[in-house]
Amino acid sequence: MTAIDPVTMARDSHVPTHKTKKTDWLGLGIVAVLGLVVVVPLVVVAIWAFAEVWRYPSLLPQEFGLRFWNATLARPDVWGAMFLSIRLSVTVTLLSAIICLPAAYAFARLDFPGRNVLFLSFLASHAFPKFGLLVAIAGIFLNLGLISTFWGVVLIQLVGTLMMMIWIPVAAFQNVDRAMEEAARDAGAGPLRVFWSVSLPQAAPTIFAAVLLSFVGTFYETEGAWLIGAPEIRTMPVLMITFINNQIVVQYGAVLSVLLWIPSFIALMFTRRLVGSASFAKGFGV
Amino acid sequence: MTTLASPDRSIRKGGQAKRHGRGLTGLLLVSAPVMLLGWLIIYPIFNAIGRTLFVKGDAGVRFGFDSYHQFLTDGYSLSNLWLTLWVTAVCAALLMATCLPLALYLRFAKSRVAALVQGLALFPMFVPSVILAYALIRTIGPNGAVDLVLNAVGLPKINSPYLTPWGPIIGLVWDNIPLTTLMLVAGLGGVSDNAVEAARDAGARHFALLRHIILPQIGNAMLVVLSFTVLSIFSAFTLPYVLGPASPEMMGPFMQRTFSQVLDTRMAVTQAVITFIICAGFGAFYVRSIAKNREARR
Amino acid sequence: MAQLSLKNIGKSFDGTDVIRDISLDVEDGELVCLLGPSGSGKSTILRMAGGFETPDRGAILIDGQDVTRIPPEKRPTGMVFQSHALWSHMSVADNIAFGLKLRRMPRREIQEKVAGALELVGLADYGSRRVWQLSGGQQQRVAIARALVLEPKILLLDEPFASLDQHLREHLREELRDIQRRLGITTLFVTHGQDEALALADRIVVLQGGEIEQVASPDQMYRAPETRFVAGFIGSMNFLACDMRGGRSDHAVFQIEASVSDGPVELAIRPEAIVVTPSATSTARVHRTTDYGTHILVDIDLADGTRVKAMCPPATRLATGQPVSLSADRVTVFRGTEKLADVAPVEMREVAHV
Repeated sequence: MTAIDPVTMARDSHVPTHKTKKTDWLGLGIVAVLGLVVVVPLVVVAIWAFAEVWRYPSLLPQEFGLRFWNATLARPDVWGAMFLSIRLSVTVTLLSAIICLPAAYAFARLDFPGRNVLFLSFLASHAFPKFGLLVAIAGIFLNLGLISTFWGVVLIQLVGTLMMMIWIPVAAFQNVDRAMEEAARDAGAGPLRVFWSVSLPQAAPTIFAAVLLSFVGTFYETEGAWLIGAPEIRTMPVLMITFINNQIVVQYGAVLSVLLWIPSFIALMFTRRLVGSASFAKGFGV
Repeated sequence: MTTLASPDRSIRKGGQAKRHGRGLTGLLLVSAPVMLLGWLIIYPIFNAIGRTLFVKGDAGVRFGFDSYHQFLTDGYSLSNLWLTLWVTAVCAALLMATCLPLALYLRFAKSRVAALVQGLALFPMFVPSVILAYALIRTIGPNGAVDLVLNAVGLPKINSPYLTPWGPIIGLVWDNIPLTTLMLVAGLGGVSDNAVEAARDAGARHFALLRHIILPQIGNAMLVVLSFTVLSIFSAFTLPYVLGPASPEMMGPFMQRTFSQVLDTRMAVTQAVITFIICAGFGAFYVRSIAKNREARR
Repeated sequence: MAQLSLKNIGKSFDGTDVIRDISLDVEDGELVCLLGPSGSGKSTILRMAGGFETPDRGAILIDGQDVTRIPPEKRPTGMVFQSHALWSHMSVADNIAFGLKLRRMPRREIQEKVAGALELVGLADYGSRRVWQLSGGQQQRVAIARALVLEPKILLLDEPFASLDQHLREHLREELRDIQRRLGITTLFVTHGQDEALALADRIVVLQGGEIEQVASPDQMYRAPETRFVAGFIGSMNFLACDMRGGRSDHAVFQIEASVSDGPVELAIRPEAIVVTPSATSTARVHRTTDYGTHILVDIDLADGTRVKAMCPPATRLATGQPVSLSADRVTVFRGTEKLADVAPVEMREVAHV
């Protein structure tokens, strides 16, 4: 290109070059510290899971092996807890989706008396210390005979998923461009058809993430299960606590941790985008 | 994992919704979760207060503060309460000190390393607290990994925080880093790049920038984060139960033990109401700012 | 007072060159507009002048002093942002006073300076207002006052009026021009609106793809575009493709003579340079006329299917489909991006096509 060089001082002297792609030392430092603090404890657990003999003060286990995997997986209480936890999480997530998703759509798109106050009251349920609330609920469940029953735990965990299963889908439905829905109406689709063919598919990825988050959250829910479920209902996390408390073979806990971590890894994969987004954090009131 | 959550930013669109007879449909659709909310959150709170103030005796229902009196005169209960307050305060301070720099970095960093930092900072959110507790015992517990490493380089063992108040503190800070950081980053999102650049243009260096421009603009967000943190830490159960000291113990394990082992429901509920009262200020502030933010976004 | 020089500046983001190799001098008291489509690198240049980006290559000099590596807080530049970027937690006066306070100026002096700056932008009584109590135009004036109060050597403005409506934009543009003249401050102004550049600038720099296309005064920029891009970017322009053979164009309507080597060219003709006359024998036909009051814009379909825009006096009466003959009194010949020749009127007369 014949760029008409406008300037008196053309390329006369040397052109200084600087390396502006500075290495982000601060960032790398943070990565190093966070990596150490966040990852190392989990790595230690992973090593323990595959250690057959690890006596102090050796830096690494003396013997590696899968013996304790067999031992852990041979325990009937582990399988019982596993199936119970899965049964609980599926039940709670399904119930939660059934009652919350229509409500979320209503909060996002319909107008009805008390809409704002009701929505706010969902968000405000954070304003109570959670375990205190659980104790208050447990007091009621005691009278109703729900303590130590499957459905008692379902109810308590259902309450825990309410907030997440309402406000994330509400945000998802609201982010669907109204013009898209109106265009579908214009093309002759009825309200239900619009919901099914436009709003739901558009909001689906976010809603899926919310469902996954509440499934995993329920799976790991410890406090309600411990308080309401004990002693009959022993979920995986509850079993894990008893393993820790009773200090029986260290590797049992390690193997269980590695096993238990799989669902959360899947959740991490699928929900990181949602969780990292600004609107997620704004959901907590910032 | 913290599963409870709150609002979104753009409720405003819903305000335009048409009214033709949809009012009833809307109410119907939200009725199930609202009833659940009423039955399992609002009712228990009032029930707890009623249960602790009224006692069914032989001579009918009697009103009295005796269970609160019992709590407030019991040295063990009080020391549990103090421990909880102290742990909460230390955790909140540590969380702010860790997460604010982290959030500032994430907000203003432009390098690719920032994505990695974000990933690492979010990571604890996906580690359930039971596993965390176990991992911390194996790492900083007696003869844990840290001891192994120290021993290998010829240094003395650490004074293990396991079963001391520092155990739950480390665990709770670890567990709360993701949400605190996320919320602070969201708060910092309100400070525009240009506002910061304009301040630099006017001559503000790092510290002046933080003090005069950034902090005043995220003051409210920081208070919300603080309230949220206090509310979630004050009544934490799992980490204090597994990592914390047995006596005095934090309010979470204390309530659980009173309920399940001592089988004194009334006392357990009294303890719960006391946690409500102590957290009420933070809770009220939290609700107020949620409501205010939603107003502002409309 | 102050002079800004960019010497062989280059910048890449993620491996792509945003700025290739740009050199530019802004003289003392001059107002230079950087004009270009989005992605042309104009804002990047401005941000480099302000110190918010560091060039990968080249140097930035203010009054002959190398400031390339000097951070914005130490650079004698004042920047006005598109989004005004006022600090919402401070009052109007505090916004303006912030930089002065950082310089530890005595309170009395700060008050005087702030009052002076507010008066300069016509907001004398607004000091105690909150930022959000002001209208968009007032906010932008405060931003200008905030930048000026520190008495920068160079004033930098990044599309400051882009978010305002047309009427207000024109008004503020004039005010800015007056203030700039009065203070005699050297100014670099980024805009994507050509009318803004034409109205404000002493000189316009047209940028595209990180390179300077042309630097010229507004009238030169319009009348004598040096590249195909500038010709098309400033104002509206008809481009007609044809071949040159033996110094003559083979275009059916516009036959021109120019000492240009043989090969394909484009004839660039401004709408106002085209004269339209009704002619029953012509194959060019009126497609549509649009009455703008001050002039009438006529779209004409040529026999080869190309459409030409012509600007006619308001009294012109042409019907749709009416055959017309065309002549042009000024044609610029481009080959590729390069200008080959300007063709004066004389050779062009009576080239009506039969």
